[in-house]
Amino acid sequence: MGAIEYAIDNWDRLLEFALQHIGFVLLSIVIATVIGVALGVLTYQRPTAAALVIAVSATILTIPSFALFGLGITFFGIGNLGPVIGLILYSQLPIVRNTITGLQEVDPAVVESARGMGMSRWQSLWRIELPLAWPVVLTGVRVATLIVTSIFAIAAYVGASGLGREIDRGLSNLGAAWAFDVVLTATVAIVLVALVLDVLYMLIGKLTIPRGVRS
Amino acid sequence: MPASEADPPAMIRLEELTKYYPGSDEPAVDAVTMDIPEGEIVVLVGPSGCGKTTTLKMINRIVEPTSGRISLEGEDVTDVDPDRLRRRIGYVIQQVGLFPHRTIAQNIATVPRLLGWDKERITERVDELLELVGMDPATYGPRYPKELSGGQRQRVGVARAMAADPPVMLMDEPFGAIDPITRDRLQNEFLRLQQEIEKTIVFVTHDIDEAIKMGDRIAIFGNDHRIQQYASPEMLLSNPINEFVDAFTGTGASLKRLNLTRVRDVALSDWPTAASDSPREELQRRLAETEHSFLLLLDRQQRPLRWISERDLARSDWTHHGGLKVRAVVEPHVTLHNALDEMLTSNVGVATVVDERGAYQGVVDIDTVMTAVNAMRAETRERVRVAPWHGVTASDVADATESRA
Repeated sequence: MGAIEYAIDNWDRLLEFALQHIGFVLLSIVIATVIGVALGVLTYQRPTAAALVIAVSATILTIPSFALFGLGITFFGIGNLGPVIGLILYSQLPIVRNTITGLQEVDPAVVESARGMGMSRWQSLWRIELPLAWPVVLTGVRVATLIVTSIFAIAAYVGASGLGREIDRGLSNLGAAWAFDVVLTATVAIVLVALVLDVLYMLIGKLTIPRGVRS
Repeated sequence: MPASEADPPAMIRLEELTKYYPGSDEPAVDAVTMDIPEGEIVVLVGPSGCGKTTTLKMINRIVEPTSGRISLEGEDVTDVDPDRLRRRIGYVIQQVGLFPHRTIAQNIATVPRLLGWDKERITERVDELLELVGMDPATYGPRYPKELSGGQRQRVGVARAMAADPPVMLMDEPFGAIDPITRDRLQNEFLRLQQEIEKTIVFVTHDIDEAIKMGDRIAIFGNDHRIQQYASPEMLLSNPINEFVDAFTGTGASLKRLNLTRVRDVALSDWPTAASDSPREELQRRLAETEHSFLLLLDRQQRPLRWISERDLARSDWTHHGGLKVRAVVEPHVTLHNALDEMLTSNVGVATVVDERGAYQGVVDIDTVMTAVNAMRAETRERVRVAPWHGVTASDVADATESRA
């Protein structure tokens, strides 16, 4: 059980990589959420536009991450910038799709009564529709987070930080006695990071979903 | 139909209001012209697809008219900012549309908040409104819509629409999705409320019985998306202008007319009563003096308690809790139709009328109902002789409305 020994001996290094990993994932997700929700808000009432945005973001998700990050070097060089932009792109499908679905599922009677009482389009969206769509949007953000947590590990080969570094180091030294333990440890750490983030979303949900719409 | 001098001033005036939806050659509403007088309930009724709801929604411009004008309080509002306009008009829809993520108090505070009232004034107003619709502010204010029953949600919807005290309320089938018993109660409550608030109300329903019960005036829409007849309920029932209106108002017109008269409009019959703490001998003497076989016992606040008969009084184990419980208690604002209904369930064959505090006023018996029906018949015959139905004018309608009030 070399992996456990390795983890115990190197816990401070691993923790630092894990925190980097979480940091860059969350940074990407925050930016992706702002963009994705904005795209959803702009398109949810226009079926053609909504279908187009969803199709484009679905297509992006099919691009192999290995290739995307590699191509990113051309524009952003080595480091974290390219991968963060990649993660933002990969996050769009779940966030945009859930924003559109969430907004479309708001009871039309609720929106009509909001407008009928004299709320402007914007007031209705901001005070009524988005809060009601929020549980669905949040689920999309959560799924996006899971996806990019694993994808970010790949980005180590273009110089990104995080637990991918360890996997990269191990894979480049396969054959060395310690290499397998390093890869295994880092992989398990990524799974743990994903679990931690999932717990975080449960807390965010508890704190931000109003009592009246909690199931 | 422009208002004649006899009419109350028009709160809302619709002129040649027409709506074509995109891609349709047929108008959804065709040249509707009507005056809606201040302080009255005007009901738009008709089969589905006749344009009644579209007409209602053009008043607050949820639906923008294709052509025609809308005036509110004498001001042309066809082209004003719709958001500002809507804050002056209460709006209640069938599905209510309460905001599920906001508490009842927050829901009711919606328009006052949009208008920028200060916090204290809003809290005060919310409490006042909840009490007005018969809900305890401390209990229901902090709850969420899903924690309420359908009837309670509808009450909150009405309270929310009245929050900023708008002169006009639009109600689109407000009681349509509610079970018949609760609907009846809500209708009665609303009519009682309207006596206090005297709003101008435009009310849409597909149910002619509801229209007759609620409306000071009724506009019947036909399948041609036009108004067939706009008149008081009495006029519609006694003088339908064409076959469509006749068929739509339907059979059982006499029974329906009982919905036009309220208990407070008829002379109540007397019934022998006695204080419940009177000695048995006095009760027996009182009962012997009358031709009735029951005596109505009242408590100190004059509230009806029990019906007692000679047999009850003769029992050796007589107490003041003997006899029959008083059922079929009605308030003066209910219709004769309701009273008749209650009467049939009563064990004594009369409906007992009490005021708001529950104090005994008199009884409605079958003779009361028959007298009212005969009087209505005579009255309508009289009016028809004066103004034949093809010449019904707006002032006739006003007269008819007045005589009912």
